[in-house]
Amino acid sequence: MKTDAHSFFRELNNSRNVLYQLVAQQLILRYRRTMLGYLWTLINPLLMMSVMAVVFSTLFKADLKTFAVFLFSAMIPWNFFSSVVTQSGTSFINNEGLIKKIYLPKIIFPLSIIFAILIDSALSFFALFAIILMIGGSLSWAVFFIPVAYILLFFFSLGLGLIVSVATVFFRDLQYVILIAMQGLFFLTPIVYKHDSLAGKVAWLVGLNPVVPFIELFRAPLSMAILPSPRVILQTSMLSIFAMTVGLFVFLRQEKKIVFRL
Amino acid sequence: MSIIQVENLSIKFRIYHDRSPSLKDYFANIFKRQNQSAYSDFLAVKDVSFKIRAGDRVGIVGHNGAGKSTLLKALCRVYESSDGLISVDGRIAPLLEIGAGFHPEFTGRENIYLNGSILGYSKQQIREVEPEVISFAELEEFIDTPVKYYSTGMYMRLAFSLATAIHPDILVLDEIFAGGDAAFLVKAKARMHDLINKADIMIMVSHDHELVKLLCNRVIWMDHGELVADGPPEKIVERYLVGKINE
Repeated sequence: MKTDAHSFFRELNNSRNVLYQLVAQQLILRYRRTMLGYLWTLINPLLMMSVMAVVFSTLFKADLKTFAVFLFSAMIPWNFFSSVVTQSGTSFINNEGLIKKIYLPKIIFPLSIIFAILIDSALSFFALFAIILMIGGSLSWAVFFIPVAYILLFFFSLGLGLIVSVATVFFRDLQYVILIAMQGLFFLTPIVYKHDSLAGKVAWLVGLNPVVPFIELFRAPLSMAILPSPRVILQTSMLSIFAMTVGLFVFLRQEKKIVFRL
Repeated sequence: MSIIQVENLSIKFRIYHDRSPSLKDYFANIFKRQNQSAYSDFLAVKDVSFKIRAGDRVGIVGHNGAGKSTLLKALCRVYESSDGLISVDGRIAPLLEIGAGFHPEFTGRENIYLNGSILGYSKQQIREVEPEVISFAELEEFIDTPVKYYSTGMYMRLAFSLATAIHPDILVLDEIFAGGDAAFLVKAKARMHDLINKADIMIMVSHDHELVKLLCNRVIWMDHGELVADGPPEKIVERYLVGKINE
């Protein structure tokens, strides 16, 4: 097992170049031959969130600026998480042609997806951060916590993404199940509302939702200009480690079967 | 020195009779014992053993579906063995399907970098061979055009030039002497022979028996996943052809 892990990481290291190329491929291709090109990566979430900010601030009778900052700070981690989980589902299926012809360490396919999404997410973070500052959000030292928040979110999403990527090869229905599950989860996550406002019969669902502490991780420094509570940091660290452990375990056990089931 | 050792290798495929199992089937089958299974196992390669040493030029013959390509893919690690062992010592080049991993939207140059990385070349190596690949493929004019606008010949030329740009220790070929016009074919054959001569080990699958006799010094005959005979090219090819007639 020890030599397994060793050769796994050595192989991964040797495949850096392919990984880089696959990430570049995703980023370059998406907007090739469009006039605004890569700007769409920024425009798309910005417009979406602006519409949501206007609608929900009116609905909740909240101040638009405060609400916008409140919403943006949660949409960043949510968009990252949900994109990783949904896109991981097709990472092997979309590369079937390649996997059946040439040996490549399989993990580079889900990895290339998460890195491409990370780059998109980081760029839209900077754009949103500029907007937050412009409309009067408070800038504090707590912002320097964001890279840590990203690292925790990255491993949590990667762990789940690995499970989903493998599971979808065996059960193709999962792609559609996940799309629906993500829509449901969106409403069970305090993104457009405050954590404590969903009371009553479904409150326990929010309590069980593992994405909630990750939202707090971003919302505290961005929207409230404070560091997340130690409890939240501990919770998210545990969740990340747990997701990565299970994800790698599932992945390494099933990795060799993937080519036969595509 | 390169060496390939295969011991009791078997590769099992699962053939689904109607469709791939859905989540519904999976849960349904937990509760009810299946009378008839939805799939059957199929051995594409059965209990094959051989050893290839440096200097060997091995041709693999056999009719369609004999497991030749599956065996090659197992050597290149595309398929994991279900049983038995494969040990490969030396840098192996996956020349199974030329142009696998080309992206139609990418330009020729971008594809050199993408496909080169898939073939296992380092960035430095790709940068070094790039001008040579372009000039060998005779694509100087179109190298910055997306390959979806290429003709089949142009596409094949680029893929071939790139795949054969770096000399591997172990060369694995699956019928790839095609593509391009007559002039390019002559050039390509010369390059191929050069590649074969410089390789420690060459393994090829081909239905062109004259070519096998010309290039190989050892022939393996496979039939229904089993290794039937292994020996000098003239003798084995002869036996294989006779065997086919008698069937």
